[in-house]
Amino acid sequence: MSALDDVQEEVKPDMTPMIDVVFLMIIFFICIDFKVLESKLPAYLPKDKGSNPNKVEPQEQLSIKVYVDKVGTPEYPAGVDKNSVNINTGRAYRFKLKDHKIRWEVGPKPFGTLAEVEAELVRIAKDPNSQVADDKHPGQKKLMSCVIEAYPGTFYDDVAKTADAAHNAKFEEINFGGGLGAKK
Amino acid sequence: MDVSKLVQQNIEMDMTPMIDCVFLLMIFFVLVIDLSQKNLEDLILPRAVFQEPDDKPPENRPIINVLQNGSVVYNQKVIYDPAVHKTDYRPIKQLLLDIRADGVNKKTLKLVEENIGGRMVSLIDDPILIRADKWTEWNYIGEIMKQCSMPEIAFWKVELAMSEQDKETGEKNKKLTGGAK
Repeated sequence: MSALDDVQEEVKPDMTPMIDVVFLMIIFFICIDFKVLESKLPAYLPKDKGSNPNKVEPQEQLSIKVYVDKVGTPEYPAGVDKNSVNINTGRAYRFKLKDHKIRWEVGPKPFGTLAEVEAELVRIAKDPNSQVADDKHPGQKKLMSCVIEAYPGTFYDDVAKTADAAHNAKFEEINFGGGLGAKK
Repeated sequence: MDVSKLVQQNIEMDMTPMIDCVFLLMIFFVLVIDLSQKNLEDLILPRAVFQEPDDKPPENRPIINVLQNGSVVYNQKVIYDPAVHKTDYRPIKQLLLDIRADGVNKKTLKLVEENIGGRMVSLIDDPILIRADKWTEWNYIGEIMKQCSMPEIAFWKVELAMSEQDKETGEKNKKLTGGAK
């Protein structure tokens, strides 16, 4: 064996750059947040109501009022407050609301839990007296619409759950009352 | 020059595996990165059990995000900040007017003429999605919905985003848990 052959056997490629790159990639993947984006999850949306070209006559509708009993206490991650900004997102830190309590009024009846509201809405929806004339289909009847009136201090979660309960009770026309303003 | 020095000069590193690796990673990122997600803020949506699934969202649907503090964010830009604008909601109105004008110009939003109360109004026949955090005050969402109903804006298909899973509490719909609570 010549000296040249001997040296050729010792030649090995330098794996250092590749290992560097692979480690960088490992660090990158560890650091990025592999969370499922909300958009990837199927969202549940209210049905389209459509617009009515005819003159709108006042119609009986069920009023569902949402009041705040206890606003609750925002709970921020440790070491941050409401003025802290997350440097990664440029947005304020997200809080969780603790001890938030609401109550409802379905028509004139007060309720303290969502389950009670759901049961009452199902009862009303099954009541033949809840049927009103259907403008789009003369001569036919349909379930009256309902309006959710969220009082100051209520949150999206409160309204969403109420709308969800109304939808479960087969209310198809769900309106949202506005103009009640912000929390004082 | 001795033999060992001559050999050392001829050694070249084989870059092929590294280039392979880099190309594979490039392909991975090109496939994985979905630029359509850039207009979605990191929010926790309220959980809904009985609403309609959004299986095939329209491609050009405008998405308005509302943060916990009521800030309205569109395409990563804060359009309305309650701490700055207080009860001046004109930035929201202007945003909706701009979305409408842009969508109509680019033909990404469809218009329909409707007679509402004896007056012809050009309604946007495509939906607009409002995404808000579960702990966003309803007042801010209600304000956007109110602006959407203005005749000059006329987004009449307003969708509210909800989720099958509450990522704050971990609660999931039965469909996701296979019936278990």
